Amino acid sequence: MEGEMLKGHLDMIVLAALAPGPAHGYAVIEEIKRRSAGGFDLPEGTIYPVLHRLEQAGLLAGRWVTADSGRRRRVYELTRRGERALAERRAVWKQFSDAIGSLFKGTGRNPA
Amino acid sequence: MISDYLERLARELAFDPALARRMRREVEDHLLEALESDASDDRLEAERRVLARFGSPRAIASQFAAGSLAALARRVGFAAVLLIGAVFVVMKARIAWYGVMPVPLANEMRALAELVLSIDRWAFWLALLAAAAGWVYIDSRRPPEDFTREYRKQLRRFSALCSAATAALAVCVAADAALTLLRLTGAQWSVGFVVPLFSMAIELACAGALASWLHAMVRQASRAAHLSPAL
Repeated sequence: MEGEMLKGHLDMIVLAALAPGPAHGYAVIEEIKRRSAGGFDLPEGTIYPVLHRLEQAGLLAGRWVTADSGRRRRVYELTRRGERALAERRAVWKQFSDAIGSLFKGTGRNPA
Repeated sequence: MISDYLERLARELAFDPALARRMRREVEDHLLEALESDASDDRLEAERRVLARFGSPRAIASQFAAGSLAALARRVGFAAVLLIGAVFVVMKARIAWYGVMPVPLANEMRALAELVLSIDRWAFWLALLAAAAGWVYIDSRRPPEDFTREYRKQLRRFSALCSAATAALAVCVAADAALTLLRLTGAQWSVGFVVPLFSMAIELACAGALASWLHAMVRQASRAAHLSPAL
């Protein structure tokens, strides 16, 4: 998917990737790659400004933990507000996607 | 190679030292984990791949700058309105106190006091108007994904409004200080003077806090200026 098109939806993508449970930045990226089957090709570092912004907005809560490797890492999870925001965005996206789908229906050329 | 990358990222994020420290630790963990997942025997090549996938430090810092400055500007805008409101409450409280503990003005000071009072009023309303306009302006702007030239212009306009509000508030507080001095000078000292003097200290603290926050925002914006295209 085009980078610019993707950028506008990054908040929703990150919230959705964190819906199954708490994760650190690297795991969030891996989850996005796995669930999109590699469809979203963004620089991995792009995720951190988004995580930071969502945390500042109170949609995510972050905490430092010690990983098995002994390294300190920051783990993020959805807050109640984050869960509500994700549900709202999912509903808006479905409505938008259905509308675009209806609009495109029948506009494709039939092969000769 | 990874430590050089982290150094570069920290340098690009120098506009917010706390954020730079935090991101250095967080990104280091990410890069090391990505490196561990790379099955290649050629470590140098693996590091190159991991860093290429992560993206340019400047591009990442630019996204942070947009979000960080937007949050700071909104806080400054709100604080400006709040602090000017606090000055208003303190002014009214002092006037109410003069009703309880009258400290009459000397007759020869009345004309001067009238002039200072009109300056005080104009300065106060100008401060409030500029601060409210600044707050509404910055709050209604959607922060972009990157620190764009357009957003930098918007921050400049907001800074100009806040600077006008701060300057007007400084004039207002100076006028209040002059009025308080005119009233207290020559009067017999009493414990009741503590209230107007304390209220002046609060007004000075409010004006100082606003100037300090505005200065912090302007400094942060100028430190991040290299992350957006030149104006």
